[in-house]
Amino acid sequence: MKKRIASLVVSGILAASLLAGCGASPAPAPAAEAPAAEEAAPAAEEAPAAEEAGDVDYGSGEIKIWVADNVVDFTNSQIETFKADHPEFSGYTFTVSPVGEGDAASNMITDVEAGADVFAFAQDQIARLVAAGALEEVAPENIDAIKSQNDAGAVGAATVGDTLYAYPLTSDNGYFLYYDSSVITDPSDLDKIIADCEAAGKNFYFQINSGWYQTAFFFGTGCTLTYDTDDAGAFTAANVDYASDKGLVALKEIIKLNSSPAFQNGSSAGETSNMAAIVTGTWDSGTVQELLGDNYACAKLPSFVGADGNTYQLSGFGGFKLLGVKPQEDENKLAVCDALAAFLTSGDVQLARYDAVGWGPSNLDAQKSDAVQADTALSALAEQLAYTIPQGQYPNDYWSLAEGLGDDVIQGNLSVDSSDEDLMAALTTFQETCISYAK
Amino acid sequence: MAQKTAAKADNQTKLLSPAQIFFRALKDRTAELGTTLIRGDWKSKLSYIIMGFGPLMRGQIVKGISFLLSEILFIVYMAGFGGKYLAKMSSLGTVATQKIGRKTVYGDNSFLILLFGLLTIVVIAVFILLWAMNIHENAEEERRLKAGRALPTNRQLLASLLDQNFDKTLLALPVTGIFVFTVLPIIFMICVAFSNYDATHQPPTNLFTWVGLENFRNLFNFGTNGFGSTFLTVLTWTLVWAFFATFIDYFLGMAVALLINKKGIRFKKLWRTILVLTIAVPQFVSLLYITKMFANDGIVNAYLMKWGWVSSPIPFWTNPTLARITIIVVNIWIGIPYMMLIATGLLMNIPEDLYESARIDGANAFQTFWSITLPYMLFVTGPFLLTQFTGNLNNFNVIFLLTQGRPQSIALSGNAGYTDLLVTWLYKMTVTDTNYRMAAVIGIMVFLVTAVISLVVYGMLPSVRDEEGFQ
Amino acid sequence: MKEKEFASMSKRRRISNAICYALLILISVVWLFPFFGLIMQSFRSYSSEYGGMVNYIIPKKFSLDNYRFLVSGETNYLRWYANTLIIALVVTVLQTANVLCVSYVLSRMRFAGRTFLMRFWLVLGMFPGFLTMICMYFLLKQLGLTQAGAVPGLILVYVASSGMGYYVCKGYFDTMPKALDEAARIDGATRAQIFFQMLIPLSKPIIIYTALIAFMAPWCDYVFASYVAFGHDRSYNVAVALTRWVWTNDYQGYFTRFCAAGIMVALPVTILFMCLQKYYVEGVTGGAVKG
Repeated sequence: MKKRIASLVVSGILAASLLAGCGASPAPAPAAEAPAAEEAAPAAEEAPAAEEAGDVDYGSGEIKIWVADNVVDFTNSQIETFKADHPEFSGYTFTVSPVGEGDAASNMITDVEAGADVFAFAQDQIARLVAAGALEEVAPENIDAIKSQNDAGAVGAATVGDTLYAYPLTSDNGYFLYYDSSVITDPSDLDKIIADCEAAGKNFYFQINSGWYQTAFFFGTGCTLTYDTDDAGAFTAANVDYASDKGLVALKEIIKLNSSPAFQNGSSAGETSNMAAIVTGTWDSGTVQELLGDNYACAKLPSFVGADGNTYQLSGFGGFKLLGVKPQEDENKLAVCDALAAFLTSGDVQLARYDAVGWGPSNLDAQKSDAVQADTALSALAEQLAYTIPQGQYPNDYWSLAEGLGDDVIQGNLSVDSSDEDLMAALTTFQETCISYAK
Repeated sequence: MAQKTAAKADNQTKLLSPAQIFFRALKDRTAELGTTLIRGDWKSKLSYIIMGFGPLMRGQIVKGISFLLSEILFIVYMAGFGGKYLAKMSSLGTVATQKIGRKTVYGDNSFLILLFGLLTIVVIAVFILLWAMNIHENAEEERRLKAGRALPTNRQLLASLLDQNFDKTLLALPVTGIFVFTVLPIIFMICVAFSNYDATHQPPTNLFTWVGLENFRNLFNFGTNGFGSTFLTVLTWTLVWAFFATFIDYFLGMAVALLINKKGIRFKKLWRTILVLTIAVPQFVSLLYITKMFANDGIVNAYLMKWGWVSSPIPFWTNPTLARITIIVVNIWIGIPYMMLIATGLLMNIPEDLYESARIDGANAFQTFWSITLPYMLFVTGPFLLTQFTGNLNNFNVIFLLTQGRPQSIALSGNAGYTDLLVTWLYKMTVTDTNYRMAAVIGIMVFLVTAVISLVVYGMLPSVRDEEGFQ
Repeated sequence: MKEKEFASMSKRRRISNAICYALLILISVVWLFPFFGLIMQSFRSYSSEYGGMVNYIIPKKFSLDNYRFLVSGETNYLRWYANTLIIALVVTVLQTANVLCVSYVLSRMRFAGRTFLMRFWLVLGMFPGFLTMICMYFLLKQLGLTQAGAVPGLILVYVASSGMGYYVCKGYFDTMPKALDEAARIDGATRAQIFFQMLIPLSKPIIIYTALIAFMAPWCDYVFASYVAFGHDRSYNVAVALTRWVWTNDYQGYFTRFCAAGIMVALPVTILFMCLQKYYVEGVTGGAVKG
C-alpha cells in the first residue's frame, strides 16, 4: 500500500518534471509557426516605411561567420573595417569561427538554424546547400556588380539553375603541378615526370581516388560529365560519356600511373614524404615552398601520350570558393548579412586576402594586380585554367562514386592486366550510376 | 490445509509467465475501474474527473496534490503544446516554407512534429496510467477505511521514500534520463525508417512524410540503385570482423597472460603495465597515429623501403583485403591487454590441485592447458565472450579512426567502403550524406543482428544454465 | 641419476624461461613502438624541420616548439583541454552516483517490474548508439545545450543513459551478503541508511572502478561531441579539435602538433589509470565472469 502511494508521488513528480521540461523548452517554436498570412501584413507595411525613413533601424543581433582557420584573423580585421564603414549596423555583433570549407556544408545541412549566417564553402557543395534550404539567393542589388566584377567561371559556379546563390570568394580552387626543379627535367610530360621520380627514388603525388582530381584525365581525353539542375538544386539530368573510347584511354592512363613505384595517391602536401612532384592547389603553396626550398617550381599540368598514341593535355576542374548567406527570418538581419558578404568578397578585400594568405582572387581587377600576376603558383593555375572546365554542380554521391573508381584502381581490381572489356564494364557501371543520381 | 493452498497458489504464480501475470493484473485493475465507479463513495466518483479529489478529502494531502498537479500539468501541456503536434502526426506537417519579400517564413517542421508528437503519445499513456492509479488508490483507501484501519500520514508517506519505497526514489532520475535520452530517440529513429527524411527532405525548409516500407525495400533491392548487395558485403565483413576480433584477441590474450604468469618469470608487473598502456591512452591519439604509421607514405613503409625489403609501399589501408587484415592486427594490439587482465584474474581461480594431479599423471604444459585451463576459461567466460562479440559488431572507434571505412569501390553503393561495419556505415550516412532514412533502417538491422545472435548464443551457453543453480 | 634429471629439468626450465623473456621483450617492443614514435614526433620542430609526415622517426633536432605552440594561446587548445577535463570530472561524479543508485536497487530491492526493467534495458543496449545522434542533437538543442552550451549538453547525455551500465557494479553488490542488510533492518535502519552508511563505505573498489571508467570515456568521444559542438570552436573537446588537425586539409603540417597535443592528453589519463590499475583489473575481471 505504502509502496503504491509513494510510487504514485514519484511518478507524479516524474511526470511533472517531464511536462515542465517540455513545456518550457520549445518557446521559440510558436513564433516560427505563426500563420504566414499574419506575418505578411506587417511586412508589407514595414517595407515602404523603411524606404521613406532613409536610414533604417537595423535592430540588433549576432551574426555568425564560418571561414577556414587560416583566415579567421584576416576576416576579423576586415570585419572591423566593415563595422567602421557601417555605423548603422552597430547593433550587431560578429562572431567568426574556424569551420573549414569542407565541413561547413555538412554542418549547415545538419542544422540550418544553428549554422552560420555567412559561411565560406567549396562550390561543389552549392547544390546540396540549396536543396537543403541553407542558401539564400544573392540580394538583387548585388547581382549585377557580382556578375560584372568576377570571372565568368566563378559566377557560373555560384549559380544554380538560373539563380545566383552565392558570392564568389576565390578563383583558385583548381589544381596544377608543383615540382622539385632539381629532380624533374621536363614538367610538361607526365611520362618524363614519372621517369625522373623513379630514377631519383622520389614520389609523385596525385590523388586519383578523388572525383575532383580524377577528372584531369577524363576531361583531358575529351569526356564530359556534367549535371543539369533546376532552381531548387535538384539534379534533373546527367550528361556523361565515360563509357567510351575516350574514357578508356583516360582510365588506362590512370592505371598506368598507379603502376609506377614512384606514384603515391594523395594531394595534401602536409602529409607527403620524399615528394618530388605533387598535383594540388594554391592552398598548399606555402607548404610546398617549405618542403622544396630553392627548388620550388610550378607549372600547368603535364600532357601524356595515351594508349591510342594520341597526346592529351591533362584537364580538370577550375574551382571556386564561395561565400553564402543563410536564409533569414528577419529582413534587416539579412540585409546586414548581404552587405557583409558583398564586402568580404569585394575586389579590395580579395586583394588584401591574397596579400595575407595567398588566396587567388575571383575579382577581375584584383586578378590584374601586379602582385597576383607575379605569383608563381597563381600563374601556373591561370595557365592551367585554359584547359579546365568550370566546375558545375555534382550530387554528393558522385564524389564517393569517383572515390570508389579510384580505389578500384589502387586496389588492383582494375590493373594493367585487366582486359579492355573489364575496364569498359567498370566505366559502364560508373556511367550508369552517375545517370541514376539524376532523377 | 490453508498453508497448503497458499503454497499451491504461490506455485501457480511462479509457473505463470511474466506476461500472464501482467495480463491478470491488468484485468483486475480494469475491473476495479468499473466497480469503483458503481460502488465507490462520492469522493471516489469525483476523482474520475478531478484526480486526487478523494485522497485530498481523506486528508492524504501529498498524494492528492500530486495527482491534481499532474492532471493540471497534463491539461496545460496538451492545450499549449502537445495537442498541436499530435494533430499533425499523420501527415508530419503540411505548411510549406515560403518567402515573403526576402524574408524566409518557415512552415511546419516535420522533425519537431514527429519528435514532440511521439513525446505527447507517451505523455498521454503515462497520464492514463496515473489516472487509473488514482482510481485504484481511491478504492484502496475506501477499503482500508471500511476495514477500520487508519490511512498513513503524509509524513509516513514521505518517509517511506527513504525506506520501503527507496527503489522509486533512486530509480526516478535514472529511468527518466534513459527514457528521454535513449528510449524516446530510439522510437523516433524507428519512425524515421518509415519516412523519407533525407538530404532533400530536410527540415526546417522542407517537409518529410511517411513512406511506409519503401526504405526497407531499398535495402533489399539488389538492382544497381539498391543497397542490397552493399548491405550483404558490409554485413558479412561485420560478422567476420567480430568473429576474428573476438577470438584472436581471446586466445592470444590468454596466451600472453599464461606467459606473464608462468612460474619463474620476473617483472610481472612491468610486462603487464606495458601492455595496459593501450587501454590507458585515449584511442583517438593512439589509433590516429597508427593510421599514419601504416599509410603508404608512413613510417613503416618508409623503413621497409629504406631497408630494401619492399620496392613499392605496401598498401596497408588501400587494398581491401590487406586493410581488413591490418585492422584485425591493430585490434590485437588494443584487445590483448584487456583479455590479458581478465585471464590473469581468472587463471588464479583455477584450483591448483587440478594442475597437481595432472602433472602427476604426466601431462605436459600443452595438455594441461588443453584439458584444464581452456575448458575452465571457456566455461566461465562464455557470457563475456558473447558480450565481446556483440561489442565488436558495434566497434566503431577502431574502424573509424583507422580507415573511416575506406577503401571504397564503385561496386558498393551508399558511400560504403570495404572496411565499413554496419555502424560506421550508419554513421557516415548520418553525418556525411544526411541520409537519415536509410541510416535508421541500417540501425534497425544492427539491432536485429545483435539481438538474434545474443538470443541464440545465450541459450546455447553451458554456463548460463549451470550458473543459475550455482547462484 | 636423480641429480642429472634435476639438472636437465632446470636446464629445460631455463631455456623455456629464456624463450618466454624473448617473447615478452618482443611483445613489449611492438606495444611500445607506436608510443615511442608518437613521443619522438612531438619533439620535431615545425620551424626547423617540418610538421607533416617524414620518413624517419628520431627528429634531427629536439625542440619543444610544438608544446610551446599549444600553450601559446594561438589556438584554443587550453580551452579544449579545460572543457574535456570539466566534462570528465562532472561526469565522473554524476555517473558514479547514478550507477550506484541503479545497482543498489537492482541488487537489493525486489519490486514489480524489476526483471522487466532489466530486460528492457538489455534490449535497448542492442541498438547502436549512433542511430539516435540526430534526435539527441535536436533534443539538446531544444534545451539550448548545443554549440555554445555543448559542454553541459554532453555531460547531460553521458550521464542520462549511464544507468544502463550497472552490470559490473550490481555484480559486486550481489557478492555482499544479504544477511548484513537484514541485520541492519532488524536494528531499525532504513533502506537509505543501509545504502549510504553501510554499503557505500564497503564498496570502495567498485566505486573507484566506476569512476575511472566514467572519467576516461569523455577523453575519447569524437563522434557525439563533434556533432553537438559543431561550428563553435570554444566548445570542442580535445578529441574533436585534434582529430580535425589530422583529418581536415586546413591544417597542413599540424601532424607533429597533434602528436604533442595527444601526449599532453594521454599523460594525465595514463598516469591516473596506472595508479588505479588494481581497481580496474578487479572491475573487468568481476564483470567478465558475471557476463
